[in-house]
Amino acid sequence: MAFILGIESSCDETAAAVVEDGRRVASSVVSSQTDVHGKYGGVVPELASREHLRAIVPVVREAMEQASVTWDNLAAVAVTAGPGLVGSLLVGITYAKAIASVRRLPLIGVNHIEGHIHAVLMEARGQVEFPALALVASGGHTHLFSVTGSLEYGLLGKTRDDAAGEAYDKVAKLLGFGYPGGPVLDQLAPFGDASALPLPLARMKGNALDFSFSGLKTAMLRWVESQDMQAEINARRDFLRAHPRPTLDEWLALTPVPARNAIAAFQRVVIEELLRRVEAVIADQDFRCVVISGGVACNRGLRSAAGRLPVPAFFPTPGLSTDNAAMIAAAAFPKLARGELSDLTLRAKANLTLA
Amino acid sequence: MNCRRFRTESEAETIALGAQLARHWRAPKVVLLIGNLGAGKTTLAKGIAEGLGAAERNEVSSPTFPLIHEYGDPVRVYHVDLYRLDTLAEVATLGLPEIFERDAVVLLEWAERFPQILPEARVEIRIGATAGESRELIVTELPEPLC
Repeated sequence: MAFILGIESSCDETAAAVVEDGRRVASSVVSSQTDVHGKYGGVVPELASREHLRAIVPVVREAMEQASVTWDNLAAVAVTAGPGLVGSLLVGITYAKAIASVRRLPLIGVNHIEGHIHAVLMEARGQVEFPALALVASGGHTHLFSVTGSLEYGLLGKTRDDAAGEAYDKVAKLLGFGYPGGPVLDQLAPFGDASALPLPLARMKGNALDFSFSGLKTAMLRWVESQDMQAEINARRDFLRAHPRPTLDEWLALTPVPARNAIAAFQRVVIEELLRRVEAVIADQDFRCVVISGGVACNRGLRSAAGRLPVPAFFPTPGLSTDNAAMIAAAAFPKLARGELSDLTLRAKANLTLA
Repeated sequence: MNCRRFRTESEAETIALGAQLARHWRAPKVVLLIGNLGAGKTTLAKGIAEGLGAAERNEVSSPTFPLIHEYGDPVRVYHVDLYRLDTLAEVATLGLPEIFERDAVVLLEWAERFPQILPEARVEIRIGATAGESRELIVTELPEPLC
């Protein structure tokens, strides 16, 4: 039995997790989703280094307690080294270094994006066959990688402007569903007719596997401007101010048919942008399966549409789709086995690349 | 002349303009990119980063979610986006005053909502969509009088 403690602080979330043998999540604590602040005093929004600094100790303590492990049980400490906000990354890295140095444990720096891929590899428990194609789509990333059995990554494409999740959140805000409102659009999309509004697919110059969502976002803005729908948008904003978490029925009551159709059309185009590139790669090269992760992997429309792919598609459970530390610990197991360790010179790198 | 107007007819022209403007800038420099959603702020940032030799255009993407992107090693361009921040307290956690002093060009999106944090010496670039792909850009060097 080997346990690795994973620490993640690359963006908004302070997270810690303990993973056993690269297969079992013994604990996974994400600051915004738990009451660690209430438990240990202090209530703050999750943002940037100062808030990570407040959260890191209680979050790691909670992860260790929930996993029922002590420092003596750990085989290594893994931490996100990038990409992300340097000030935020530094909090996790410094804390991980302190633990590694005091407890004489191996320190393993992990790329956040590689972590997202490993969330799926861990949960699929050996069902993922290689070479695999990995699509990582979240609020901050949209990347397409090839992954070999020895976990070598090749970058096939990435977004040149907005990330897929960012497009969702910005369009949701534009329509009055608040920010971040991507998941609301996913909920509402099945209630509209996607064919009612023609929206453009991106035309890529150069690498056809790169992504672009900025044009789609602008098309949605232009559509809203053409609709004389400010009253409707204001009604949703007002409702959201009074009721912070509307139910699906409440949103539907506030969303007339044209907006529902636009949401359905938007969702369809985002899914097409993602899956058409996956299909293009699979048609051209021999990939045995597709791994789809990152916050956008929670999208039900995408999950269901992925059924059309000619090879199996694997998604993480929702808790491991969005930012978490279990994926960081999971990615560290093969590195520990191969002796790919970091030392105390490990640096936060804002623009760390995976391939 | 502290206020200049430009017109571009395509994304490629906006990128070329960004590169052209950036060649005359000496770090440290703070540059506000001001414009609505889809105006072309990130497109202009591509040109600026490329003009400064910090990154290729296709490497530059939206920093909305991560808040700050860094380009070049050592970092020559910081691309900051405050879109999803609502309060000054949140902005304060980013430590921008320290970044403003570095030997780099700092591009700021949605920062005009927080005038308290802005240095007096700065460039403001207002980008507006006129029709289709064409854009009008107004470049103002502060603290000289506004146009």
